[in-house]
Amino acid sequence: MFGYVTPCKMEMKIKDYEKFKAYYCGLCNSIKNNFGNLPRLTLNYDMTFLAILLDSLSEDKYNFNEFKCMIHPLKKRLMINNNEALDYAAFCNITLAYYKLMDDAYDNKTMKSKVFSIFLKNYLPKSDKAYNDIMMYTKEKLQLLNTLEVNHKDMGIDEISHVFADLTGFIISFYYKESSFKDDLYWLGYNLGKWIYIIDAYDDLEKDMKMNSFNAINSLLNLDNLDFKSFSTLIKPRIDFILATSAEQCLKYLNDLPLIKNEDILYNILELGLMEKMDKVFNKENIDNLKGVEYKDDKSI
Amino acid sequence: MTNPYEVLGVKEGTSKEDIKKAYRELAKKYHPDQYGDNPLKDLAEIKMRELNEAYDSLMKNNGSSNSHSSSSGYSSQNNSGSTSNDDYTSNNIYQSIRMDINSGNTSSAEQKLSSMNTKTAEWNYLMGMVHLKKGWQDSAYTFISRACSQEPNNIEYRRSFNELNSRNSNYRDNYYSRRGNDNGMGNMCLNLWCADTICECFGGDLISCC
Repeated sequence: MFGYVTPCKMEMKIKDYEKFKAYYCGLCNSIKNNFGNLPRLTLNYDMTFLAILLDSLSEDKYNFNEFKCMIHPLKKRLMINNNEALDYAAFCNITLAYYKLMDDAYDNKTMKSKVFSIFLKNYLPKSDKAYNDIMMYTKEKLQLLNTLEVNHKDMGIDEISHVFADLTGFIISFYYKESSFKDDLYWLGYNLGKWIYIIDAYDDLEKDMKMNSFNAINSLLNLDNLDFKSFSTLIKPRIDFILATSAEQCLKYLNDLPLIKNEDILYNILELGLMEKMDKVFNKENIDNLKGVEYKDDKSI
Repeated sequence: MTNPYEVLGVKEGTSKEDIKKAYRELAKKYHPDQYGDNPLKDLAEIKMRELNEAYDSLMKNNGSSNSHSSSSGYSSQNNSGSTSNDDYTSNNIYQSIRMDINSGNTSSAEQKLSSMNTKTAEWNYLMGMVHLKKGWQDSAYTFISRACSQEPNNIEYRRSFNELNSRNSNYRDNYYSRRGNDNGMGNMCLNLWCADTICECFGGDLISCC
């Protein structure tokens, strides 16, 4: 479900791109310091966005550090250290990854998620007691989502995506729970969570239909049991509408936040990055021969 | 008008609940928005209008046939006095719902709306506004577009509907205008290069360096 919230690299300034990478490496490093090496495998871009967003509202100065990465040993890289927002994002990364894997292990029965979740379990209790609320909330909501996905009769797409959207809103706004802009953060998170949930479902539509597993879009909206090709063309405009309005709402709430730094990165992600992802997911079939160059190195920075 | 029962595909004398169910099923199927630019969209729109009309008339009639037990107005047997009375109270409710929405009290507005039985255009519109506030854009869109098809001449409904669509396309345009420029540049270069190659084939040259 993760990894859809990325910047639109081609429209970024180099300095912003370097900063984004420094946050990404910083997040990876924070996971290592707080939880250990194995959980680093769950690192993802969505949580990098979370760290950048939360840090943009704090007055702390950037704390850059040069280092050599184990996985990419040749070049020296920059990362951000000693940053509270990063530690928080690292914690959320592990929590979400753990409970998500638990769910997968429970209903998909894939070996990989089972083994991984057992390993991850050992790391989880090491986390901070102050964040216990987050853990409980995440657990509860992901379980609720699971039960809803099993009994989804007569449910709307808004209703089912509400659970994950609400969870995302909660996680994002929890960090600043005492502040005046808490609600703006919550609604930004709400819409982003919804966007993630739905784009993930659309992205997996073909696979899920083939495997006959639950997919929010297929199970709730495909009432006539159409095949993938006709159903996806039929439903595309509607999904496109939901995604674009959610993304537009994210941007609207971002406008209301008293950002101190990282402004360009955040606008790039919410204004262009999300659209780029949508474009990519919607035009999966004919992407290779058109825009191959700029997407190829998307995965590893 | 065609037989509303036929339009909804139910038997005469079916209960309100079943009519609702049938209507929902069909509305999902024929909702024009899912057709995009498909030529079927117009057909779906016509069909949807028929559905709405049939549904409305049945819901009203149903009220009248049950009116021995229920005291609700809206039945044709009732005199005009009580009908206007009913209108008056429902207007009052709508008023208070609007106030709830404006003050941000969406849950109270939603509660009031769901306790009402008659789904007028205003009901659909207000429900759409509540869902918009909740961030439920998909159902909001359905409600508001239903309000528009029930009362096509209402400016308020139409405006909200258009706003919803334009918000969406404004957001998109920003991305496409930036990305589009790049593509245009590439295309121009490509065209020039093609022209050059063709010229060279015939022995001439458009761009001397290549």
